[in-house]
Amino acid sequence: MERPANEGDPGAMSNLIEIDNLTYSYSLSGEDDQPVLSGISLQIAAGELVAIIGANGSGKTTLARHLNGLLLPTEGQVRIAGLDTRLAENRQTIQSTVGMVFQFPEDQMVATVVEEDVAFGPENLGLPLAEVRRRVEAALREVEMWEWRTRPPHLLSAGQMQRVALAGVLAMRPRCIVFDEATAMLDPAGRQMVMNMLHRLHQEGLTILYITHFMEEAAQAGRVIVLDQGQVALDDSPQEVFADAGQLEKLGLDLPPAVEAAHLLRPVFPDLPEGLLTMGALLASLPHAPESVAAFGTASESHAQAESAAFIEVTGLSHIYLRDTPFAHQALRDVDLQVAEGSAQGLIGGTGSGKSTLMQHLNGLFKPQTGRVQVGRFDLNQADVTVHQVCQSVGLVFQNPESQFFEQYAGDEIAYGPRIQGMQKPELRQRVQWAMDVVGLDFEAYKDRLTFTLSGGERRKVALAAILSLQPEVLLLDEPTAGLDPQSRKELIDHLQALRTAGMTLIVSSHHMDDIAALTGRVMVLHQGQSVLEGTLGEVFAHTEKLSALGLAPPPAARIAEALRRNGWPLPAGIVDLPGLEEALADFPGGGQ
Amino acid sequence: MSDFEFTQRMTIGQYLPTGSALHRLDPRARIVIYIVLLAAVTFTPGIWGLVFGLLVMCVGLLWAHIPLRYALKGLLPPLPFLLILAIMQVFLHPGGAAETVFFQLGPLLVTTGGMAAGGMILLRFAALILVLSLSSFTLSTSELILGLHRLLRPLGRIGLPVEDLVLMIQVTLRFIPFLMQAAERIVKAQASRGAAWGKGSGGPLRRARHILPMIVPLFLTSLRRAENLALAMDARGYGAATERTSMRELHFRAWDWLAVAVGILLAAVILLPMV
Repeated sequence: MERPANEGDPGAMSNLIEIDNLTYSYSLSGEDDQPVLSGISLQIAAGELVAIIGANGSGKTTLARHLNGLLLPTEGQVRIAGLDTRLAENRQTIQSTVGMVFQFPEDQMVATVVEEDVAFGPENLGLPLAEVRRRVEAALREVEMWEWRTRPPHLLSAGQMQRVALAGVLAMRPRCIVFDEATAMLDPAGRQMVMNMLHRLHQEGLTILYITHFMEEAAQAGRVIVLDQGQVALDDSPQEVFADAGQLEKLGLDLPPAVEAAHLLRPVFPDLPEGLLTMGALLASLPHAPESVAAFGTASESHAQAESAAFIEVTGLSHIYLRDTPFAHQALRDVDLQVAEGSAQGLIGGTGSGKSTLMQHLNGLFKPQTGRVQVGRFDLNQADVTVHQVCQSVGLVFQNPESQFFEQYAGDEIAYGPRIQGMQKPELRQRVQWAMDVVGLDFEAYKDRLTFTLSGGERRKVALAAILSLQPEVLLLDEPTAGLDPQSRKELIDHLQALRTAGMTLIVSSHHMDDIAALTGRVMVLHQGQSVLEGTLGEVFAHTEKLSALGLAPPPAARIAEALRRNGWPLPAGIVDLPGLEEALADFPGGGQ
Repeated sequence: MSDFEFTQRMTIGQYLPTGSALHRLDPRARIVIYIVLLAAVTFTPGIWGLVFGLLVMCVGLLWAHIPLRYALKGLLPPLPFLLILAIMQVFLHPGGAAETVFFQLGPLLVTTGGMAAGGMILLRFAALILVLSLSSFTLSTSELILGLHRLLRPLGRIGLPVEDLVLMIQVTLRFIPFLMQAAERIVKAQASRGAAWGKGSGGPLRRARHILPMIVPLFLTSLRRAENLALAMDARGYGAATERTSMRELHFRAWDWLAVAVGILLAAVILLPMV
């Protein structure tokens, strides 16, 4: 792409973005005086690659929206290429200088066809027709969506929609692009694609800022700004920011997986270089084993699955959406799945691979078109078995469950399920209290809280408690950690692990291999509605190449273990998480020499 | 068939890009033809006009390469309501002196005139539904918007905010499929929590209580969507420039004029009071 023309900048502009003592508060007369942003001063030079991180509610999005005049400072000043955002006459120049890509891809689409959506920005600028067309084509080719230009947006995947949104921004030829958690709702392949584009645009000379909850993404920046309660807590290179694990935890954040793994590896491999931030860098610096060590044989896998009767049994299940219409679409094709009582099964695969459709068959939302589904005592092929009955023993937690809240108070939201079953006051109260205990919410403190005042992590817990209050035997979780900050994510995983230990059968679908490694024992890989791999975590994650062809990557610990094995170190098979890796390294021949 | 697939039962409102000659007409020509036909079947006084109108629709559907079976399926969901309407017409028709009485049920007379009026209602609605289906099968939302924009543009000169009006229609149309998807997801989630969806038990108050869990989140989701969309539009400079341009151009050719002429002719025939 051509570099955008400078629009009459003052001669020696070094900083593209200058923020002076920015304070912002929602003018809710007196009720909430705590400003969202207070006293932020930052300079961002043209051509920088900056990651903005921070816990939920730390003010990241509010800051981002000041950068192109969507929000205006309550106090202080924001200047873009020397232009004050508060002056109305600067508005159009600022909007075409700084573009924004938002979190929810489908909410950004204006038009009913891809190319017209991309044309929206240039049309607003009043550009001549030929120029609009040229820009639309260039932008769509840049994000590799040119072939899809006549599609309606709602028939695209989330990752594709996000690329179209990016094209819509590129068509305005901005000098800076702000990504506001643009990868949060995407599958691994979509996320990788967006990150690759972000790097490419940076190399082409654009200034890039991105907000993210994924520390491995933040580690790829040239500069990391950490926000905490509306203030800049840290502003430094990723090496410096990710050097202090204790401080990050206080800020509600986490180490990137590569940094965390390097800490574990360093006692065993003292020669490991400092400042490894990304998985790529870490894997490339793992040492080769000396001849003597390589002679050791590899131990056999420790996870021997005891065969027990299947609690959930799916055989030959196929499902076609919009059957008998011109839009028929096969979502599942001849899927078999057995899950033993009290075990935990993971489902992975890209968007549209059939994970959600499969889950919705397990609580009766869908009836099998072909094939059989048996869950505990329920034969879901029988016409008279309804969701209403099945939901008492199978709880399904949808993605972003808090967007389905309808009660004002957290306690009522959780009580809804049992109340519908006809449960009365004293028992109902006990049940709600129990469910809140399980997810770690204090009953007295939270039962009368308004749901919309809760933080993202707390709302997710309420949503989980609202399903647990039915005391199901099986818990189905669709993307349980999506959109949570690192701390909330960790807490949620802990509570789910406790449920698993207590004997609940779990089925988890996730785009995050860490979640799968932490919560499940076996995993199935779905691709275009078919089961392409199934087995223990160790078995499945050993198929590195097959997974990467599907846009998936094993969790960090598994990738490190495999790289070490390839370098000749005798590590046992089946390592999928960092505790497992640590254990294996502890009795390592030549460890800590 | 699942209770939860809202989109499955709707044939009207779908666009079927079959690439037929009808699809290749200028959108403005198609919009004018459909409006003229719609008016004709609405106002035609005679039964033969309606029969001819139905015939025209079937030919139009075949010309557009739409399977007739698929199009006619769209008549099924509203059929019960239409039948009720037709039966009411049969009984409530004010009988004239010249009409033959078929039979009498208490105060209710069934006359030939009543039968004809009931039949007319059925045929008229069938024809209306078919015109609307045909237009949705052959006009994509983007063509509809573009065509409307160009047809209305002259009105801009007398001060009508055509740009904003058309954008409003466009955003509304774009929201519909997403809203359907959101509604489906919410109903499924609430059903998974034990909500009795689709069961007609209980009094009106109880039923309203069942609907609440669906309406509240749908409302909130729509508001959030609208807010996000407004932000995205703002960020992309909507309302900044004095004059918006438009990427697409239309060319009205002789063929389009001919099609409009044929459309008007057919409408005129439908409107002729035959017999």
